[in-house]
Amino acid sequence: MKRIKRYLRLYRVLVSQFIKTIMQSKVDFFIGLLGFFMTQAAGIAFLYLVFEQIPDLHGWSFSQLLFIYGFAQIPRGIDHLFTDNIWLVAWWMVIDGDFDRYLLRPMNLFFQVISEKLQPDALGELLVGTILICVSASNGILTIDAVHILLFLVSVIAGAFIYTSIKLFFSTIAFWVKSSGPFLQVAYNMAEFAKYPTEIYGKAIRFLITWVIPFGFVAYLPAGYFIGQHSALSTIGVECVIAVVFFVIAYRFFIYGSKCYESAGN
Amino acid sequence: MIRHFMHTYLPFASNELKRNLAYKGAFYLFIVCDLMEVFISYYLWMAIYQSSGKGTLGGLSKNEMVVYVIMVFITSTIIMQSISRTVSRDVVKGNIAMTLIKPVDYRISLISGQVGNLIYHFIVPSLFVWIFLEVYKVTVLGEPLVSPGRAALYLISICLSFLIYVLFDFCFGMVAFFTTYIFGLSMAKEVLLSFLTGRLIPISFFPEAFRKVFEYLPFESMVYSPVMIYLGKYSVRETLFVIGRQAAWVIILYLLGSFIWKKVTNRLIVLGG
Repeated sequence: MKRIKRYLRLYRVLVSQFIKTIMQSKVDFFIGLLGFFMTQAAGIAFLYLVFEQIPDLHGWSFSQLLFIYGFAQIPRGIDHLFTDNIWLVAWWMVIDGDFDRYLLRPMNLFFQVISEKLQPDALGELLVGTILICVSASNGILTIDAVHILLFLVSVIAGAFIYTSIKLFFSTIAFWVKSSGPFLQVAYNMAEFAKYPTEIYGKAIRFLITWVIPFGFVAYLPAGYFIGQHSALSTIGVECVIAVVFFVIAYRFFIYGSKCYESAGN
Repeated sequence: MIRHFMHTYLPFASNELKRNLAYKGAFYLFIVCDLMEVFISYYLWMAIYQSSGKGTLGGLSKNEMVVYVIMVFITSTIIMQSISRTVSRDVVKGNIAMTLIKPVDYRISLISGQVGNLIYHFIVPSLFVWIFLEVYKVTVLGEPLVSPGRAALYLISICLSFLIYVLFDFCFGMVAFFTTYIFGLSMAKEVLLSFLTGRLIPISFFPEAFRKVFEYLPFESMVYSPVMIYLGKYSVRETLFVIGRQAAWVIILYLLGSFIWKKVTNRLIVLGG
């Protein structure tokens, strides 16, 4: 308990330091926000133009797809906001020898990595996600009651954990290959598949994004529950199990990898 | 004159080519990323055609859409060689001062370097994907091979596309003089380009009013026009017009770039460097 308190306090201190740096460069903040916001907006515009031509896509309506799209952005945005520093571990920290300083402090390694930085760009994703979910709710395609809202929060957090696990796992490879940025990029981009219903893909891709790199469980499958097509257990239940299993594997792998770390430089 | 020009700028291209050959691992993984995008569009479009129940959407048949998706990938892989990243790095680090005292044109040296990249990307992966596409077209889709004339016109067109892209990107890189956070802006640029060049969705899907506006912008000429030439969607006269328009954009963007460069370097102050 005492330890948790200590970490919470540390996190507050580190975050407040970071917020100061954002205030220092407001223009950069807005540019980053704009970049991510526009990326999402373009995806929506694409769907809109396509649905001018077709009534539905494999039985999914435009408003349902908008919901999946928006719903996918929330866990992605949460993970992006809190754990963006994992990218730096993958790309530069190991190869530059910057990782040394984490090993010198008497704190949990993973905690140090993620608390180094908050990524305000993620607010662009969270903004688009929230807008789309509000639009979907007002369209009346969602069931809204206490259970659904609670499970929504559970699902979003589990989804963020899946994102974090995948990022952590692939950045850990850097401890052996020195820079694993490209590997991480490939794995992270798999999430693009999950923006659309997985049934449109071939069997191999479907298997890959459901069970190997389980981005299918971040958005499309739980979305089925909120739209009222599947039961909670088969979607959000499985999502939680996957989130826990993947996070434990990724975390163990990360700790094991950090023991194999050899510092570079002088 | 020309020999002197080649002698000066050819090393930039060959250096870039050699560098690409040295760092292959990351390069191949990024190709995997791009190919993933192709897979997504392919499956998505197949599902869209299936759901529509119509033979053609936005003037393209299902088979033509397959060719469109793959040719868009090939075209953008070949032509989109970004120089704005180098420009912004040079500006932020102050290296730009060095380029001002060297007896080479900064912009031409950057573009020459990208010619090296272009050659590399033309061979890996584009040529392989292109051959695959033609084989796929004949064996699976039952369509004839592309005629040599059309392929040649396509190649001419993408050379101009490349110039339009790099000249535009040079102008874009100039914003580095005003902000250091080029990452966010590049992202916004990428999105805008993927939309306006027809990478994400064929221009013919846009409402009439939008298309009218796009005709007066350089973006359509980067990707959409050469791919449409390849698909044989233009008559001979239209093809000549489209290529002429591309050439016009090359000239306009070149002059614009010179103008901005002059303005910006006049007020440049470099500390250290």
